[in-house]
Amino acid sequence: MKVALIFILLLLILLPTMALTGTGDNTLKGRLQTFVSYGLSLTSLLLCLLTLIVAVYTVTSDIKQRQIYTVITKPIRRSQFLLGKLLGVLLLSLALLALFSGLIYAIVIYTPHYFDWSEDELIEADNEFFTARKALAPPEPDVTKEVAQALQRLVVSGDMDQIYKGMSETKINALQEIIAAGDVARIYKTMANTPVVKELTNVTRLAKRSADVSRQLLWEFQNVRPRDPNGSLFIQCKFHVSVTPPDSEVYSQWLFGDYRAYQYGTAVKIPPLTLRRKDPVKTLREIEVPANLVADDGYFAVAFLNDPMNSTPIIFQDGIKLLYKADTFTANFIRATLVIFCRLVFLACLGIFTGTFLSFPVAMLFCIVIFFTAAVSGFVIESFDYLGENMFVFYSWTIKLLVGLLPQFDKYGPSNYLVPAELLSWSVVGRVALYMVCIQSLLLLIVGLIVFSFRELARIII
Amino acid sequence: MEYAVETFSLTKIFSDWWGRRRVYAVDDLNLKIKFNEVFGLLGPNGSGKTTTLKMLLGLLHPTKGKSLCLGADATDPKISARIGFLPEESYLYRYLNARETLDFYGRLFRLNRGVRKARIEALLDMVGLNAVANRPVGTFSKGMARRIGLAQALINDPDLLILDEPTTGLDPIGTRQIKDLIIKLAQRGKTILLCSHLLADVEDVCDRIAILYGGKIQAEGKVTDLLQQTNKRQITTGAISDEAIEKIRQVVREENAECEVASPMDKLETFFINTVATAQQHSKQTSGAVSTTKLGEFLVAGPVTENILDKLASTPLSQQSLVKALPTDPTTHLKSAVAQPDKQLLSELTQPPKPPEPVKADKGIDTNPVVTRVPQAKDDIKKDILDQLTSRSELQKELPGHKQEGEAGESGDA
Repeated sequence: MKVALIFILLLLILLPTMALTGTGDNTLKGRLQTFVSYGLSLTSLLLCLLTLIVAVYTVTSDIKQRQIYTVITKPIRRSQFLLGKLLGVLLLSLALLALFSGLIYAIVIYTPHYFDWSEDELIEADNEFFTARKALAPPEPDVTKEVAQALQRLVVSGDMDQIYKGMSETKINALQEIIAAGDVARIYKTMANTPVVKELTNVTRLAKRSADVSRQLLWEFQNVRPRDPNGSLFIQCKFHVSVTPPDSEVYSQWLFGDYRAYQYGTAVKIPPLTLRRKDPVKTLREIEVPANLVADDGYFAVAFLNDPMNSTPIIFQDGIKLLYKADTFTANFIRATLVIFCRLVFLACLGIFTGTFLSFPVAMLFCIVIFFTAAVSGFVIESFDYLGENMFVFYSWTIKLLVGLLPQFDKYGPSNYLVPAELLSWSVVGRVALYMVCIQSLLLLIVGLIVFSFRELARIII
Repeated sequence: MEYAVETFSLTKIFSDWWGRRRVYAVDDLNLKIKFNEVFGLLGPNGSGKTTTLKMLLGLLHPTKGKSLCLGADATDPKISARIGFLPEESYLYRYLNARETLDFYGRLFRLNRGVRKARIEALLDMVGLNAVANRPVGTFSKGMARRIGLAQALINDPDLLILDEPTTGLDPIGTRQIKDLIIKLAQRGKTILLCSHLLADVEDVCDRIAILYGGKIQAEGKVTDLLQQTNKRQITTGAISDEAIEKIRQVVREENAECEVASPMDKLETFFINTVATAQQHSKQTSGAVSTTKLGEFLVAGPVTENILDKLASTPLSQQSLVKALPTDPTTHLKSAVAQPDKQLLSELTQPPKPPEPVKADKGIDTNPVVTRVPQAKDDIKKDILDQLTSRSELQKELPGHKQEGEAGESGDA
C-alpha cells in the first residue's frame, strides 16, 4: 500500500517542521500549545483516513482481485477471515499511532531544553501546560422562578406575537385556553422548550453572570481536591464589558477561599485571600492562587466585585472555570492517545463493515461521509437546538437520531484537553471506549459478520 | 457416504441488476463422482463448468438444489481441510514471494512448522520454482503463477482435488507433469475433479467424463466406453517386412474387412519433452520456471505425519518409495535436503526386522476408522503394507531390479 507510505512520510516530515516553525504567541507555552494542537490533530486526521482506507481496501481488494477464492475455501470460517483482517488493521494503526504520538511527545518534552527560554516562561509552561488540571465550572444557577416571572409579565403586557413565536397551531390554541383560565403555573409548564422560554432562560442566566459597578458576584465550588495542597489553583475567566474603557482594561477585586467565614461567621483555618487586579478585556485570563485556600471539606468560593473605579458593567459571558493540578502531563497524553485509538478502532470496524457489501470507491465515500459527520457531530447536534419548533420535531426524529448513533469525535478531541492542560480523566476515556468501541464498533462488526456470512463471493450480475 | 462429490438438481441462474433471470448457467445438474475417481467436466466456454465448481465450494449460492463434497457442505472447515482447489486463474497476493505464499496457505490449514517447511520445499521442487522462490509472485509469468496455484492446492495433501482448467498457461512439460500427478494421486486413492476444454489432457487421465453444454450434461460415462470404436481393431507391430504386411492384408481380406498400414507418429508432446530434457542435461540457463517432471515427495510417498501407522497406511506405492529412500538410488540426491529426514525415517522403519509390526499396523487400521482413506483403497493399502513388511528381506535383495520400475514421473530426472 503506497498510500500508507505517503501518509507516514508526510507525518514524518510535517511533525518536525511544525515543531520548528509553529511559534504560537512567541512564548514557550504558546509554542507548545500550537504544536500539540496541530500535531495531534494532523496525526489523528491522517491516521483516521489511513485506517479507513486500509480497512476498506483489505476486504474489497481480496474480493475484487479474487484472492479470497483460494483463502475462503481453506478451512477457515468467514468470520475468522474478517476478524483477521480487523486485527491486522488495528495492529497497523496501533503501531503508527504509538510511533507518531511518541514523536510528538518527544518533541514536546524536548522543546523547553532546545531554545533559550526565560525563567518565567518555563514556570508558566510548567504550570499551565506540563500538567493535567481538573476544570470545574460552577453549577448553572436555577432560574426557573425568574423565567416564570418574566413570562408572566409578558402575558400581562399582552405581547402575544412575542409569546407565540415559533409555536405550532395546536399548541397556541392550548396555550390560549390556559391563559384564559389564568393558571400561571401551567403556563410555564406548557411553554417549556419554546423559543421564548429558551431566550428568557439565556437572558436571565447572563444577567446572573454580569455585575454592575460596585456589585458582587459569587461562585461556590464543592469537591475541590488538588493533587498537591501546596500547589496552585487557577481561575480562568474572560472579562466582557458593555462599554470598552479607553485603555481596554478593567479593575477588579477578588476574594478566594472559604467564603462561609463571611456568610455565617464560621471559624476557618486560613482566611480568604483578597486581590485587586487590572486586566485587559476580552482575553482569557488566568489567576493563580495557593491551593491551601481550599477548605478541608473541598469547599472553595470565588467572589468578584466590579471595582468602583470602573464605569462599565462586567459580564462573564462564558462563566468562570476553576483549574487545579490533578495528574501529570504524561498520563494525560497517554489517555489522549487512547482516545484517538478508540476512534481508529471505530473507523477500522466501519471500514471492514462497509467492505463486506460495497466496492472500494462506494465504501470509501460512505466511510468518509460518516467520518466527517462524526467529526462535526457535536456542532450538528447543537445547531438543531436553534431550529424552530416544527423543524425541530422533524429533525430530532430523523437526522439527529442518525447523527446521535455516530460517535462524537469533536466532543472528545484530545487537543481540547491537552492545549488548556485540562485533565482527561479515566472516566471520560472509559466512556469513550464504552460507546465508541464496545457499542458502536461491536455493532458494526456484528452486522458486518452477518452480511459477509451470507454474501455470494463470486457473484455475477449480468 | 457413497460419493465424493454429489449434486442434487443443482441449478444456477444469473440475474441482471433488476433481479430478472437471464442466464441458466447450470441447469438441474446431477453429478455423482465416486471416491478414487478422476472425473473430467468438459464443455465449451461458458457451459457452466466453473460455475458448478464455485457452487460446490460455496463461492456461489445455488438458485436451486444442493451439493455435497466428501459427504458434507464444503464450507465446513472439517471438509475444506481435505479439499484442494485450483481456481481458473491463480489469484495470489502479489507482494508475497513464492515461499511465503505457500507458507501462508499452509498456515491456513494449521500445518505445523516442520510439516509446512518440508511440504513447501517438496512442492517448490515439484513445480520447478525453487530458483525463484524468493521473488514476489506479482512478478511471475502466467505459467509460473499457475504453478504456484497448483502447489497451493496440494499443500494439504487433499483427499478431493478440484482443478479448474489446470493446464492453461502451462508449457507441455508442466501439462505432462500435472497429468502424471493426477494419475499418481488417483493411485493413492484420491478423488480428482477437473474441468477443462483441452480434450487431450482429459482423455489421458480421466476415468469418467461428463460433457456439459448450456448447463446440462449432454453425455456422461467412462472414457473407454465413450471413445472405443467397437467396430474397428488396431494392431501395432514392430518394423516388419512388406511380405508380412501383405500376408496380414490377405488374412484381413478373408474376414471381409479393409486395413490401412502406416508408420505411427510420435506425439509432439513426447518429442517436446525429450528435447527439453536433453537441453536440461546440458544445463542450459533459463530465467523462467525450471521444468522438471519431478512430483512432490509427500504427494507420492504419503503425507508427512508423526503417526507412523498413518504414514505406512497411506503409502500404497510404498515399494517405490522404499527404493527412493535408499542412498544408493541415484535420484535421491536430487531431492531437497529438507525432505531427507522423512526418507530416513521410512528406511529406518523398514530396514530392521520387527516381527510385531504387521499386527500393530493391522490393529491400527481396524480400530482407527478416523483414517480418512477411502474404503475401496483400504484393502489394497493393507495388503500393500503386509506384503511389504513380510517380504522385506527379499525386497532389499531385489532393490536394483526395482529401480527400473521407478515411477513414470521420475523419468525426466534420468
